[in-house]
Formats: sequence, C-alpha cells, structure tokens
Amino acid sequence: MAPSRVLPIVASVVFVLFIVGAAWIAGSLATRTGLVQHSLTVETSLSDLLSSLQDAETGQRGYLLTSDEAYLAPQIRASEAIGAEFAALRAAIVDNPTQLQALSELQVVTEARLAILRHAIELQRVGDVAGALAVVRSDRGRDLMDHARAIIAGMRAEEARVLVRRSAAAAFFSRTLLGVIVASGILALLSVGLWFRGAHRYAGVLERAREDLHSANTGLEAKVAERTAELRDSNDEIQRFAYIVSHDLRAPLVNIMGFTSELEATREDIRAELPETPKSQAIDRDFAEALGFIKAAIAKMDGLIGAILKISRDGRRAFRPELLDVTALVRGLADAQRHQAEEAGAVVTVGALPAITADRLAVEQVFGNLLDNAIKYLDPGRRGRIEVSGQVIGPRVRYEIRDNGRGIAPSDHERVFELFRRAGAQDRPGEGIGLAYVRMLVRSMGGRIEVASESGVGTIFSVTLLRTPPTV
Amino acid sequence: MHPVCIVMIEDDEGHARLIEKNIRRAGVNNEIVHLRDGASGLRYLFGADGSGEVSAGRALLVLLDLNLPDMTGVDILTRMKANRHTKRSPVVVLTTTDDEREIQRCYDLGANVYITKPVNYEGFANAIRQLGLFFSVMQVPEMD
Repeated sequence: MAPSRVLPIVASVVFVLFIVGAAWIAGSLATRTGLVQHSLTVETSLSDLLSSLQDAETGQRGYLLTSDEAYLAPQIRASEAIGAEFAALRAAIVDNPTQLQALSELQVVTEARLAILRHAIELQRVGDVAGALAVVRSDRGRDLMDHARAIIAGMRAEEARVLVRRSAAAAFFSRTLLGVIVASGILALLSVGLWFRGAHRYAGVLERAREDLHSANTGLEAKVAERTAELRDSNDEIQRFAYIVSHDLRAPLVNIMGFTSELEATREDIRAELPETPKSQAIDRDFAEALGFIKAAIAKMDGLIGAILKISRDGRRAFRPELLDVTALVRGLADAQRHQAEEAGAVVTVGALPAITADRLAVEQVFGNLLDNAIKYLDPGRRGRIEVSGQVIGPRVRYEIRDNGRGIAPSDHERVFELFRRAGAQDRPGEGIGLAYVRMLVRSMGGRIEVASESGVGTIFSVTLLRTPPTV
Repeated sequence: MHPVCIVMIEDDEGHARLIEKNIRRAGVNNEIVHLRDGASGLRYLFGADGSGEVSAGRALLVLLDLNLPDMTGVDILTRMKANRHTKRSPVVVLTTTDDEREIQRCYDLGANVYITKPVNYEGFANAIRQLGLFFSVMQVPEMD
C-alpha cells in the first residue's frame, strides 16, 4: 500500500488511542480529586473532634461548679457527636495505615478522657463534691487531653503531607489531560487533513480513470466504425466482383448458345442434304445427343450465372425501409404457399410477430425462402408443422421459423448457407441458392441468421434484425 | 444520298457474327462496319484528327456495346452526342448490362434505344431480328 493511504489510517488510529487515553486520564483525575477531598474531610473532622472534646470538658466544668444539669447538655451532645466524627474519620483515612493507627490511639485516649469526665459527673451527682474535684485535680484528664491534642496535631501534619502529594498528582493529571486533549485536537485535524488529501487524491485518480475509459471508449467506437466501413467496402467489392464476373461469364455463354443453335440449324441442313442411310441416321443421333448435352449444360450454367447476378444485384439494390406489419406480411406469404403446404400435408402457424422498419421486398424474400424451404424439406413420415414466432430483444427482433421436418446434419449447418451447396438427400428441385440469398439479404439489412437443427427432428432458422435500420 | 451504314462497335467476335447473321435474316442488306474496340470505333467516327468531319455526309446507325476492352461505350456515346457531325446519328446501345442506372445514364446522354442482350439464344436471336426489321423502316438522317 502507498504511504498516502497508510498515513491517514495511522493518524486515525493514534487519534482514537489518544481519546481512550484522555478518558483514562480523566477517570484518574476524578479519583485524585476525590482523594484531595478526603484529605480536606480529615482536616475538618479532626477540628470537629477536638472542638467536641473541648465542649464535653467545658460542659463538665460548668456542672461541677454550679451543679446545674443544664450545663450537661453540651457535654452529652459532644459525647454523641464524637462517635459520628470517628466514623467519618475512619472512612476518610481508610487507605492510609499510618493515620488509621493514629486514629485508633486517638480513640482510646478520647474514650479514657470521656470516661474520666463521666466519672466526675457521677460523683458530683451523688453529692460527693470533694471526690469529683479530686478527679479534676488529679491532672489525669489534662494529660489525656494533651495526648489527644498531640495525636490530632500529628494526624493533621500527616494529612497535610498527603494533601500536598495528592494535589500535586491531581495537578499533574489535569495538566496531562489538557495536553492529551490539545494533542488529540491536533491529531484530529491532522487525520481529517490526511483523509481529505487522500480523498482528494483518490478523486483525482478516479477522474483520470474515467477520462481514460472515456477516451478508450471513443477509440473503440472509432475502431468499430472503421472496421464497419472496411467490411462494407469489402462487401461492396465482392458485390461488384460478382456482378462483373456474372456479366463477363454471360458474354461467352451467349456465343456458346448462339452457335449451338446455329449448329442445330446446320444439322437440319445436313440432314436435308444427306440420303437416309443407317449410317447417316447414326451420325444424326450422335449429333442430337451431343447437342442435347451441350444445351442442358448451358441451361444449367445460365441458371447459376443468373443466380449470382440476382444476388449481386439485390445486394446492390438500395433498400427502402418502411414500417412493416410483419405478422400480416408473413401470413400473406404463408397464404401464397398454402397450396404447396396442403399438398405436403403441412400446417403453417404464424404467431403475432413484432413489427420492424425494413425493406419490404428483402423481408418478403427472407421469409418467403425460409417458408418455402420448411415446406420443401418436411419429413414424409409425420404431419408437417411449421411455426413462425418472434420476440423483441432490445434494439433487435428475433424471428424463428421452426419446422418438424427432416432436419440438417450438424456438419451441414454452415454449408446450407453457401451458394450452390445443398444438404441431405438431393431429392428436391433446387440450385442451392435460396439460403445464400437469404443470408445475403439478412446481412445487408445489418442482421444475422442462424440455424439450429437435428437430423430427423426438425430445424429452427433464427433471423435477428434491427428494429430500425442503422443510420449510415 | 448515301445508303445507311450500320456501324457495330462490339469487341466479342462471336456476338458480332451472331448479330450480323440475325440482322441479315431480317432482310437488312446494308453495309455493316464492325469495329472491335473503342479506339478504332472513335477513329472511324471522328477520323484521325478527331474532329468528326469524316462523318459529314454519312448516314450512320451505330450499334454500341458498353463493355469494351479499352474504354466504356458510354465515352463513345458522350463524344458522339457532343459532336455536331455525329450528334443526330441514331445510337442503339446493345449490351449485357441491365443495370438501371446505366440505362438511365445512356438515355440521359442521348442514346436512342437501349437493348439488353437476352441471355438465352432464342431471345437474343429474336431481339436482333426485330431490331433488323426496325432498321429497315427507320429513317436515318445524313449528317452535316
């Protein structure tokens, strides 16, 4: 494959990979941003915890000083809030073992501190004011509180460190995402450009191919026209040749016939002069026999020359195309040959035939000869059936003359169209002209004739003609 | 007044002999001059100088074949009808050609009769005998 075709595909694949990468980076960024959020939550929760602890301490002091139960309300609220705050913290730092350990320690310290607070409050409540004060004075509560503060401070420091790391990671991912998005945009433009260039080039190639095809077609048409003209010229040449030959053959034939007749006249003169002896009678018989053969040969030759002349003349005749009702034309021909058909015991069926524009005389000659042949060469062993049908095939019409006659052997399929050639048993009169004449006419009209036949089964002659004559 | 002379321009000896025989059989006894090709035909009709003056005062009836070895009879016909000495001589085109255009051309050029030689001898002989009878009654003008 050419690089021009590979490049846009590579660019597109890379573009798709970038988009997938961007999606992955965006996902990671969301995770990092969530982690940053966690760190901020930890910070807030630690503050809340410390303040709750202080609230509880403050509430206890107020109660110890005044014995007023109202001061216990913040202490109770704070004790309750502390549980929830621990839960929130644990959830936020679940991924950090250091913090978890610190949190567990903080929880132990906090529980201890709260237990001392509750103990002092209980003593106060039962009236042991001195016991309660002793608990407060023991410094144990302050130590626990200091310890808790220290743990919280440590946790804050640790979380701040984590936050810095997480923020940096989030910032890195957002920068990367931006970069990937910008790169994807450039790649998208690039691959669109490459595709466009490829498409443009491809369109150019197509256009050139189309032009080449067009010129090839034009060349082909010119070639066909040239060949057709050559064929027409050579056909004309053959027609002229046939015409001249038949003319020049006729001239000596007139002499042969003329002087044979003169010879016959002379024979009469001799017979009149000679005495009627057996010998002279024998001579006269020889004379008569020789003259008879000569005259028969002349008559035969005259027929052949006449046929060539007729074909060459009809080939030269200018056709006068007209719209023909072929059905009526062929029915007319069949009616004209009804007598012969009935004598042969044959039925001629003429279907509806497509009309064409062609020379009437030529078409009549074609169908007339084919019908005549079909009737002439029936099989005496069965009742003759001759059918004429036709159908339009594009710009042409195909007529079929089908018979159930004696048929033509495959080796003779081409021969039957040749001048003076006949096929099968030579038991019918004829000179072998009909089909040669028909083929000449069909070809002159720009059509063709084909034969399909089987010995003893029947024959189909197919004549394909143009519906309208070619414009020359 | 000169007797009418029949000029037969015909390259085929046999045809010429048969034509002559059948004309004679019709009782025509006029002189028949047989010329075997186009060149000698032209020389007889127009003289060595080609002016045609040689024909002045002659009464000619021309039997013309179109298929001559050295030229076509149409050329001879054309020259005859264009020459003032020969233009009134009756010309009978007697040829094998029955091409319609050729027949039209000959009449256009001034041929007086066009006859196609029949192929069968009976027809041929009959046609020539009738032509002979026709000759015996037709008037042929003497030329200027």
